Amino acid sequence: MMKITLKLYGLISVMMTATILVGCGGSGEETATETIPEPPVITYPSYTDIIASGGDTTTFDASNSGHGFSTPAPNLTAAELALHLEGDVNFETSFTTAPNSEHPELDGLGPVFNNADCNSCHQRDGRNSTPFLAANETRVKLGSAAGIFLRISKAPDEVCTEGTAQNNYCAPVTVPDFGDQLFHRGVLKARPDWQQNAFVGQADVYLSYQRSEITYADGKTVTLKKPLFDVENPYDAPGETKQSANVTSNLLQDDVLMGWRNGMPVFGLGLLEAIPEADILANVDVNDADGDGVSGRANWVFDAVKARDGVAPPVSLGRFGWKANTPSVRVQSLGALRGDIGVTNPLFPDESIAGTSLHDDYLTRTGFVDTGSDENGEPEADAAFSDSVTFYAETLAVPARRNIGNSNVRQGARLFEQLNCTGCHTPTFTTKTAGDIGGEPMSDSLKGQTIYPFSDMLLHDMGEGLADGRPDFLASGNEWRTRPLWGIGLTQTVNPQAGFLHDGRAATLEEAILWHGGEAKKSQQGFMALTQNERDQVVAFLMSL
Amino acid sequence: MKFKYSAIAFSLIMGLSACGGSGSDDAAPIVPDDSFSFVATEMITNLTDEVIVDGYADLASKGEALFNATQSLINSTAQADLTAAQAAWKAARQPWEQGESHIFGLVDSLSIDPHLDSWPLNTTDLQTQLNSAVGFDADTIKGWNDDVQGFHTMEYLLFGDGVNNNTKAIAELTTREREYLVALAEVFRDYTKQLDDAWQISHNPQDANALPYAELLKQPGTSTNTIYSSQLAVIEELINGMIGIVDEVGNGKIADPFGDSMTTADTSKVESQYSWNSLTDFSNNIIGVRNVYQGEYTGSADKQGLIDFVAAANTALATRIGSEIDDAILKIQAIKGSSDMPFRQAILDVEGRKRVQVAVDALSKLQASLESDMLPLLSDWKAS
Repeated sequence: MMKITLKLYGLISVMMTATILVGCGGSGEETATETIPEPPVITYPSYTDIIASGGDTTTFDASNSGHGFSTPAPNLTAAELALHLEGDVNFETSFTTAPNSEHPELDGLGPVFNNADCNSCHQRDGRNSTPFLAANETRVKLGSAAGIFLRISKAPDEVCTEGTAQNNYCAPVTVPDFGDQLFHRGVLKARPDWQQNAFVGQADVYLSYQRSEITYADGKTVTLKKPLFDVENPYDAPGETKQSANVTSNLLQDDVLMGWRNGMPVFGLGLLEAIPEADILANVDVNDADGDGVSGRANWVFDAVKARDGVAPPVSLGRFGWKANTPSVRVQSLGALRGDIGVTNPLFPDESIAGTSLHDDYLTRTGFVDTGSDENGEPEADAAFSDSVTFYAETLAVPARRNIGNSNVRQGARLFEQLNCTGCHTPTFTTKTAGDIGGEPMSDSLKGQTIYPFSDMLLHDMGEGLADGRPDFLASGNEWRTRPLWGIGLTQTVNPQAGFLHDGRAATLEEAILWHGGEAKKSQQGFMALTQNERDQVVAFLMSL
Repeated sequence: MKFKYSAIAFSLIMGLSACGGSGSDDAAPIVPDDSFSFVATEMITNLTDEVIVDGYADLASKGEALFNATQSLINSTAQADLTAAQAAWKAARQPWEQGESHIFGLVDSLSIDPHLDSWPLNTTDLQTQLNSAVGFDADTIKGWNDDVQGFHTMEYLLFGDGVNNNTKAIAELTTREREYLVALAEVFRDYTKQLDDAWQISHNPQDANALPYAELLKQPGTSTNTIYSSQLAVIEELINGMIGIVDEVGNGKIADPFGDSMTTADTSKVESQYSWNSLTDFSNNIIGVRNVYQGEYTGSADKQGLIDFVAAANTALATRIGSEIDDAILKIQAIKGSSDMPFRQAILDVEGRKRVQVAVDALSKLQASLESDMLPLLSDWKAS
């Protein structure tokens, strides 16, 4: 890491003055010349003074406010801006139940889903709101306000270490008749028992919190909350719960693994995809050869774009998603369009629940009016819609940093380095200057940019406290991808109800740090050993990003 | 309803960028000192308390009144009761639409905006539920999708389909519709109360001791304020809020149904089409912009608003933006013409379309001024 060295000129000035004054006083006898000590040298990491976290894609006009994640990269061409703005509108498009003869372009929601538009899980292009419990509630049922949902899969028979066509490239094993994502919402008639369970999806999902306290050496305590879930009333066994006497539902079997997932900020994603693969892999340190306690593994995942194009094997480096289980913005965006919203598209033309008894029953009962295809047999979202939404997510600007001259921010940067937070939160990369992203030519706006995402894009064991116990391609149940930190200080400016970490459990950045375990335990312990003032400085630095 | 930079503003920025840079002259460019001073505390306090908080308190009050008005319908045969409920709906619509000029914070994060104002509504599912035997209690409806609740579902039930008129006879109001209306209005009242409480009591629904959201705006830059890091951040939020709704009205609410020609006009995209309240909605959106700009409601005593911030830099600009806001409101209101034509009819009328275009032009002019002249003042401001 390159360092910037700054002399403390103010201190030098004071010391010189003191020497002169000393020289003026006294007995007049000649004394030995005093040696002026070398002034202390304070070094700051090179990123301390960086403002433009996204290079030329950085936005300055909205980098203090709730619009900080929502502006187009300022270096787009006019044609690109038009495409971006089209994607912006589509990002907010709320889909409706099929058939919609008046607005067929809005047709295709569900039949089961987690939300009806992109923006609901990525509010103002940031994180979703953390569900809250009213004063008289012990748990809350997820509904239309929830941007969080559960990923589900069956526990694999053995750890998958190398993806092949035979093992489905280590993809999570789907839950029979459900899939790999739990859809708690549905269109009105999604379920056979819709008259009793209107607008309910595959099952009801309830969230509650388990609270614990952590205490610093100085006696200060912080209350942490961990989200817990209850899944009840599955469509294949209405009314059933895990506590039922005779559990028959496929979903409620003991070997079904579940893990919360929050929506992530959407800006700067094209830049992350444009980081040269070799530069990410250069930081892989599976066996911790450098002995810093931090390893870093790559996730290699199924790539639907490669599969579509006949590339073998259809596997790419995972870059997106909480477990780096997605290779590109295109796969992420269109996968969410099909998965989270239930809208089929050219890359994912089949309904996410295609082939399940829920879908078969729905089609039969409703007269095959919502098959996942339009009247011409095309997917529900067309190529133009899909391309613009993908481009939008690729080209949202990165917000400029704030308060970089503040002494606490600067000291916080030093402490961030000292605690080896950079062991995973790699400060900077330079994007590639040519090539494709997501199987399409990359916008010039993303090329050759020096960026400061503060992520190595790799998997790390984060300990039992954060673990969901659910493997995802090569990621274990304990592993998570390093979260990029750029823009993190604006998180609650964009959405005051947003939380941090994969399930929003941390209400503050301090809580998020305290949840760090596993490979990050040493850094977390180092943070806890700081004084209150120093801890505040670390947070001040993060808030400047 | 989200902020979008227009292509117009972007091309202006690109054009300006193209002027700088590559010349070979090494002489340092003469940079004019455009800096200005302005003490923003009073303005931010006033805008927060007397425009935003007062607006949400008014919404909550009118939400309560709307609930009461729908309850009167349960067994009524009096047309006056339906007329009163329709008026209560329109009354609640006013602070909501004016509040869209500052649609940030809790109205978004608590999902109150989609709960109250999702559009379009799902008339198919709505009718299915009206024909079913399910009960219409508020708790149940809160768990339903947003496209069968909120303003526009109540509007549909209160005013009818709006195709040929915006009147409905009390006799046409079925028992099931009345029950559904009451439950919807109860849900609506609860959400508007929650929003008001979040601004005035605690911004965190799980922590009654958390600061009211209003205080987070009024006290930016403190160590415990994770929302606003400075007064600049608050002013940036307010200006971007103004830009956002001007963009939304001109390039969304009006432009989408207006289409490129009469043949592509689409009345099904008209907001508040059942009540024929569209032009009132649109003008209230821009009146909301004026409230933030002036710092007070029309007719109130003069208080500090963003106009004072702009005037500290450029008095001529401050006056011009004020005039452009007024002009945009007048041009929207003028769309109705001499025959009091609703918006959904105006977009299908030759003369009406001309008036719509005039309003769109006024909004575009205002948006360009806000983006190109007002927002850049933030970088010239010397906070004190």
